[in-house]
Amino acid sequence: MEIQSALRWLQETSLANGIRNSLLLFPLLEAVHVFGLALVVGTITVIDLRLLGLASTRRPFHVMASDILKWTWVAFAITVCAGALMFTTNAQVYFANFYFRVKVGLLALAGLNVMLFHLTAYRRLERWDREPSAPAIGRIAAAASLVIWIAIIFSGRMIGFTTTRAAVPEPPPDVNLEELLFK
Amino acid sequence: MKQFSLWLSTTSPSLFIQNHNAWTIPGLQSLHIIGIAMVMGAVLMLDLRILELAGMDQTMEETIDRFGPWLTASLWWMLATGLLMVVGQPTRELMSFSFRAKVVLVAAGALASVFLRRRPTKAFAILTFLLWMCIIVLGRLIAYDHVWGSWSPAAG
Repeated sequence: MEIQSALRWLQETSLANGIRNSLLLFPLLEAVHVFGLALVVGTITVIDLRLLGLASTRRPFHVMASDILKWTWVAFAITVCAGALMFTTNAQVYFANFYFRVKVGLLALAGLNVMLFHLTAYRRLERWDREPSAPAIGRIAAAASLVIWIAIIFSGRMIGFTTTRAAVPEPPPDVNLEELLFK
Repeated sequence: MKQFSLWLSTTSPSLFIQNHNAWTIPGLQSLHIIGIAMVMGAVLMLDLRILELAGMDQTMEETIDRFGPWLTASLWWMLATGLLMVVGQPTRELMSFSFRAKVVLVAAGALASVFLRRRPTKAFAILTFLLWMCIIVLGRLIAYDHVWGSWSPAAG
């Protein structure tokens, strides 16, 4: 199958090999991924709570959006890069993984949610910019966003528990493997 | 510490988490990561305001009033979910170098955030942000404590 040979090529690149054969690179990429997603979800939550009328209710929405969302995008780029590099190390396994597919689907859903928000509530922003909360459609989008991102975090964590890492570097012989049993 | 973690792993809350580890362990880790997101969101907003890179329509007091309590609440949430993770996997956590180093840095981070709210300086804002980044790295490294070699209490 076309996609399978592409995935096989990807995981045999010297980049993927380099990450796989390093003791520290994969864990560090995971840490960068967590750091990035924390900033993505953290900043999105600030925006969502504003839309829901639960926090920052006296700040005009357009000020917060232009102030915060650029940082969200920077963090998102960092997260995607780290995630993509992790993906290369075991591309065929991740591609076939149930939770990986769920996560990609949820990310698409999060993007769709933003698009719908822009096509509906955001179009009439001048009417509610200084109101304590967004109109119903905006509040629904904000609540959906929070739920979707929580589900993305959970499915992401599940990927680590339902896949095995390819060619894990050997731990030093004096380490008791029992104690490393859970990832 | 080894004796304590072995004893803790025989208690009923620990056994419950261990016996349902298919969902309890990833579930607790996800709740902990959601907490990291809340902490980092608040820390980023506070630090960017101090660095005058965001939130300039708000005074420093307004920014601290908005995100300070949020940061405090998130840190308590981290402690609660973190303690449950220790109960669920006592040896993995307590007998790891990363975990022990992380506890020290988290204590420093919590103190620093109290201090930062009283005296918001730019250098300190950058320093605390880097501190939280290190804490995230150490948190993930608990799963790979063998990278520390003989420093890992699990070794030998």
